[in-house]
Amino acid sequence: MKAVYLKAALHIFLLGFVLSNAYPQGEAEGTKGMVATAHPLASEAAIEMLQGGGNAVDAAIAAAFAIGVVEPDGSGLGGGGGMVIYLKEKNESFYINYYARASERGSEAGYSGSKDAKTAKAICVPGTVAGLTMAHEKFGTLPLKKILEPAIRYASAGFTVDATLATLILDNIETVYADEVTTNVFCVDGFPLMEGDRIIQKELAETLSVISREGKRGFYEGVVAESMVKGIAERGGTLTMNDFMSYEAELTVPLHGTYRGYDILTANVPQSGLCLIEALNILENYDLKSAPHYSESATILHLIAETERFTYADRTAYLGDPNENVIPVSGLISKKYAKKRFQQINREQLDPPAYRDVVEGDPFPYVKKKTGKTKQEETTDSGGHTTHLSVIDKDGNSVALTQTLGLFFGSGQTVEGVLMNCAMTNFSHRSKNSVNFYKDGKQSRSSIMPTIILKDEHPFLIAGSPGAARIIATLIEVIINVIDYEMSVTEANLAPRFFVRDSEDYLYLESGIRPDVRQELTEMGHTLKVYQGIDLFFGGAQMIYVDPADGTYYGSADKRRGGIAIGY
Amino acid sequence: MRKLLFRNIAVAMFLSVTFLAQGQKFESPILITSAGQSADVKLVKLLAARQQLEATTVLMAEPSDVEGVKSIVIVPGFSSKGLGAAGISQEEEMNRVKELVNLANSKEIPIIMVHVGGNARRQGQSDAFNELIANNSKYMIVVAQGDEDQFFTNIASKRGIPLKVVEKIAETGEPLANLYQ
Repeated sequence: MKAVYLKAALHIFLLGFVLSNAYPQGEAEGTKGMVATAHPLASEAAIEMLQGGGNAVDAAIAAAFAIGVVEPDGSGLGGGGGMVIYLKEKNESFYINYYARASERGSEAGYSGSKDAKTAKAICVPGTVAGLTMAHEKFGTLPLKKILEPAIRYASAGFTVDATLATLILDNIETVYADEVTTNVFCVDGFPLMEGDRIIQKELAETLSVISREGKRGFYEGVVAESMVKGIAERGGTLTMNDFMSYEAELTVPLHGTYRGYDILTANVPQSGLCLIEALNILENYDLKSAPHYSESATILHLIAETERFTYADRTAYLGDPNENVIPVSGLISKKYAKKRFQQINREQLDPPAYRDVVEGDPFPYVKKKTGKTKQEETTDSGGHTTHLSVIDKDGNSVALTQTLGLFFGSGQTVEGVLMNCAMTNFSHRSKNSVNFYKDGKQSRSSIMPTIILKDEHPFLIAGSPGAARIIATLIEVIINVIDYEMSVTEANLAPRFFVRDSEDYLYLESGIRPDVRQELTEMGHTLKVYQGIDLFFGGAQMIYVDPADGTYYGSADKRRGGIAIGY
Repeated sequence: MRKLLFRNIAVAMFLSVTFLAQGQKFESPILITSAGQSADVKLVKLLAARQQLEATTVLMAEPSDVEGVKSIVIVPGFSSKGLGAAGISQEEEMNRVKELVNLANSKEIPIIMVHVGGNARRQGQSDAFNELIANNSKYMIVVAQGDEDQFFTNIASKRGIPLKVVEKIAETGEPLANLYQ
């Protein structure tokens, strides 16, 4: 009966949303292929590959290049990311880390904190091209030239600015104004393009064409790289030719965990997949399936919120570049450690009462003896301004891919048609004791966590989200919505969300959380900040669910982000 | 016959509004501010500067900012990002804007509404701010995309407020500057 009420409430919520939204509603269904991205043209690019005989990796790469063109605020050639790949026939999984890395001479740029976020000082060595071409080389089947065709087409012929991009240009106009070239891309007569206007990126098309012909070398060596080094230097940044020529994406394995009998394959360190596994491990100590949904129960929402806060505290304390630090990965994702963290949660009230006063746990006693020193050992043991896309092909091969420029529109600096990241903002620049403290050549931690969930060696859920630090909370919530509350992916996606962490002063939540629940949360010591309806603040999860009963694919693109799922 | 009558009334209303739109003048000092904390206010600041219109821009204007001001240009449009940056909730922003509008009305300081955000600042949470500012304004300048459903036109005709509709954001500056010449 409880489930009936919950579904009815959700449908009312969804109906209200549908009436106020111009995008098509409903989840996509298919049996031969499915893709969910933040933009219809990127989803179409992926489907074009699948229907042209490509596999899920080909489709994901095509969508990733395309999304950098048609959703230029969130990712692109100037950024970085990570992708989980699951190859069904061999039951093998891989993780490619292609996040941006600090320049070998990055400290010479004099980056001094957030005031430099929208300058060339914030730019790190972009990894997108290295990561996508590595995926193609290792796992792709179609020619790179074919895979890049849609992205080049969209950049050279242009596309229509949609409501999401129009809003983001307006919202981030100061970033767009940070560089004259960027201004000329996103503005006419110095004022923002509006919904319905056409955006053409000729210079970006030329750079994409070079990559199409020459692969990784076309971006990291030769004239394109030389021009980028020069252009970034002219803007006050310090990337070197050696930075570009020596950049390599890393092929490892995904971090592995389990949740109620499902296998979780997620982003390895220094990306944040371990936070997802830790949080789900904590929640596994409670029978959520028999409990009311968090939007209807302050007790349950509080439990999940505290799980998120404790997890964020551990992330802040322990997650950084594994080449520079000892990361207690196996301890953080151990079930015993999670049980201890669960027992530390005060179920009655916010404790400690200031969000920022939460302290990290001690995972070191739970670190497996033979591991825990280097990333290689950890990964062998184991088994956010951003965009996410999910793909599955007819054979069940799956890809979860999240990539980013850092903040919306990255550093705001465009060189060779490439909008550059602001990955310096991801480092700690003040606390020398921080595991994430800046160092030349280092990779910062990141919130991204593309994830594939398996059930009995079959893909079950492919998911991920943008949203900076909110990514972690968003993924936790959509996954328990599907696994514990048995929602469809669309229901899980549109269910109200919340977010809290160790460095904020509020519990942020969407207004779909019932008013009486909010009142009770306040009485439990929470300080709320309410967003009306659903809001981009809480990310944009792109998900594919595979029905274990008959293998049908169901895709859902988050309406918070203007995305679309396409299946066939 | 009835159709003709309605048409004549409509034309008369349009002409009167246009006449008002052409004739109305406002005085400096000018305060430019936001209702809803969208970045659109920065565009209006830029538009004003390009027209060499001297104005003080305060994103979250308080009663003290109104001291000595002769007209207020308010740019409505909701932005969760803007509210987040300001560290306030939608409700707090709405209360602040209402207080500002009430103060302006009580001091007989005219409000000029400039809506530049098009569809991106319509519907949803923006319209509460749009409606409040439009209803309390003495003049409206609107980029056409934001008025495709006649939202502002209807308020203007109902309340007899002059309305200038322009096609592009860049075209907003000139009619704004004309109000002060």
